[in-house]
Amino acid sequence: MQQNCNLLLQNIKEAILMLDKDGYIMYSNPAATSILGYTPDDLINNHLTKLYGDKEEAVKADYEIRESLKHGKYQVEGWKYTKTGSQVWCEMRLVPLYNEQNIHVGYSCTLLDMSERKKREIELRQSEERYRLMVEGVRDYAIFMLNPTGHIITWNEGARRTKGYSSYEIIGKHFSTFYTAEDLENGKPARELKIAIETGKYEEEGWRIKKNGSVFWANVVITSLFNEQNKHIGFSKVTRDLTERKENEESLRQSEERYRSLVEQVTDYGIFMLDERGRIISWNEGARRMKGYNPDEIIGKYFSIFYPEEDILNGKPSHELKVAREVGKYEEEGWRLRKDGTRFWANVVITAVYNYDGALIGYSKVTRDLTERKEAERALRDSYERYRQLSEELKIINEELTLANEELEQFTSIVSHDLQEPVRTIKSFLQLIDMKLNNQQYEDMQIYITKSVNAANRMKELIQNLLSYTQVSKKEISEDEVNVQELLNQALQNVKTSVDTTNAEIIIESEVDTIHGDSIQLVQLIQNLLSNALKFTEAESPRIMIKCNKEDGQVKFAISDNGIGIAEDDLSKIFEIFRRLNTRKEYPGTGIGLAICKKIVDRHRGKIWPVSEKGKGTTFYFTISEEKVDKLPILQ
Amino acid sequence: MRKFKIIVVENDEDEQFFMKQGFDTSGLFEIITMVRNGDVLLEWLTDNQATLPDVILSDLNMPGKNGYDIISGIKSNPTYTHIPVIITSTSSTKTIVDKCLNLGAADYVVKPDTFIEYVPYVENLHRLIENKNLVKDSDALAS
Repeated sequence: MQQNCNLLLQNIKEAILMLDKDGYIMYSNPAATSILGYTPDDLINNHLTKLYGDKEEAVKADYEIRESLKHGKYQVEGWKYTKTGSQVWCEMRLVPLYNEQNIHVGYSCTLLDMSERKKREIELRQSEERYRLMVEGVRDYAIFMLNPTGHIITWNEGARRTKGYSSYEIIGKHFSTFYTAEDLENGKPARELKIAIETGKYEEEGWRIKKNGSVFWANVVITSLFNEQNKHIGFSKVTRDLTERKENEESLRQSEERYRSLVEQVTDYGIFMLDERGRIISWNEGARRMKGYNPDEIIGKYFSIFYPEEDILNGKPSHELKVAREVGKYEEEGWRLRKDGTRFWANVVITAVYNYDGALIGYSKVTRDLTERKEAERALRDSYERYRQLSEELKIINEELTLANEELEQFTSIVSHDLQEPVRTIKSFLQLIDMKLNNQQYEDMQIYITKSVNAANRMKELIQNLLSYTQVSKKEISEDEVNVQELLNQALQNVKTSVDTTNAEIIIESEVDTIHGDSIQLVQLIQNLLSNALKFTEAESPRIMIKCNKEDGQVKFAISDNGIGIAEDDLSKIFEIFRRLNTRKEYPGTGIGLAICKKIVDRHRGKIWPVSEKGKGTTFYFTISEEKVDKLPILQ
Repeated sequence: MRKFKIIVVENDEDEQFFMKQGFDTSGLFEIITMVRNGDVLLEWLTDNQATLPDVILSDLNMPGKNGYDIISGIKSNPTYTHIPVIITSTSSTKTIVDKCLNLGAADYVVKPDTFIEYVPYVENLHRLIENKNLVKDSDALAS
């Protein structure tokens, strides 16, 4: 038994000292040496005060020893000092010892090294301190603790700011103080604590009340706290005032709502979102109208569905997303497909969309159908073309008008000149006669009178021809179906006298039955040409050939003679009014005949031209439409 | 008084007659020839290169080559281009006058009201040629 006791004392981890009744150490075990560094020899016959470090601590040692004697036990934690002077945190227990006669003989002193635990505790405390300071300092969050019944036991700066209570006002109060009457009535606070205990945590957003009675929208997290023994020791409560965030969210939500409804209602633009892989995640009305898909048909599909096969084979859709990703935006015009497979020309803008953290969350795609615009452009171009054409026509008409105007001016000046000429001649001879009569000279009188009469006749002829010219110009022309044979017969009848006197031979070769035009004018045209053919000749027997055949959808007439012909230089002048290539004496005329011919052919939208060789003869060609055509207006 | 050698181009025979009288009476011009149109004039010039006139007076409206044709014909031929062409006509229409001057006519003189007033017309023509110095001395000397 003694041996066992000795073994126990040698091996126990607690330092065990035995003190006499005055507090002097009588025994120390090996553990005491290992904890305190002192050998038994160092300690024996020394007072327990030796372990207290400072001589002045003897008072304390005596007090503790006395206390143990008084109460039968004394236990304390505190610093003890090793042989080297270093501190060891020990739990010391002093117990008085009694012998078998129950006489007090001394004390047992056990020392347990608590340094490790203490160190942890200190660290824990320091850490706790840090957290406490941190929590205390947090201003945006109300962080406080509740005891298991829900009464407030800590209060931080954030809580003060959020709820308006100072710590001394609120600590000890129940946390239901912050709840609305309605919540209280529903037993919400107790329910929240219950849930927190059962699930570890309760979280919600809801209305809470401040000290001043105002409410705020709070995010609340209640966490139930358990100690190391897993005993429920209370709750932490973190409350955040979300009013501002709530307001922001609300305005954001409203703003989003506005934009969303705006986007959804846009009908002219297809606006939709793609996720980061190019799948459609939203679809607006414009997109529906443009592409023909309802939202439920298209959402979730890849946007490549809108691309022609060629584009898909070229990897265009993914290329576009790549560009949008790299540079933020991709824009182009190109063909896109509708649901029914038809194409439309689209303007497309793909924009990469990022969240607040800068992560790509998808793309917005705005598509505009330019087909209409293209059509409008085409219409505009067509319209422009029309106007240009019109302008060209106007230019031509203007030129024609200018020409007509010049012609008119020339006409009036020539008319005035040519009409004045005989008047001047008559006046000259009358004056001459007057002079001669005054001088009683009567010779040549007959000649002067004859010359005057000739001049008057010429004037009459001029006026008649002018009238006929203006008739051709001014009169509305009719569109008769004219029998060619009858036309030629009529014209020939009109020049019958000349034909007879010149003994002319007339040959007609006509392959055409009818033409369209003004029969009276056409007769005059042919008559004038025949008349010229008969007039400008030196031949014994004039030979006139009239041919008529179809050519290039028109009827071509050719009237050939074997007359004096026209010099090449003069060919361009022959249709000028009053232009006479030959003197009146040789070939009488007023210079209006061919001008009238030209006018008639022009008004029938035909052409007239001569082919001639001086001294051999002339052929006048002209074309007239077989069918009805728009005749030139009177103006021209 | 310098006497200019002139060719008169006029298609009307009566007018020719009275013009000749006017020129002869004044004694200011020597009429080389009188022709009825441009065709005859150009023919004559071709045939008489050695005796070209100092000045050509031409009517405007004539059958065949008219006054305009004559201006162009004379002005386009290096041999004749130095010969001043004066156009004469009953018309005083500005566009016609301008057209003649633009084509290269030396001047434009309106014909007298009647044939019997050609003497003052000829005197005026002579004054005009001298004042405008239309005929160079060398030409006169050469002839």
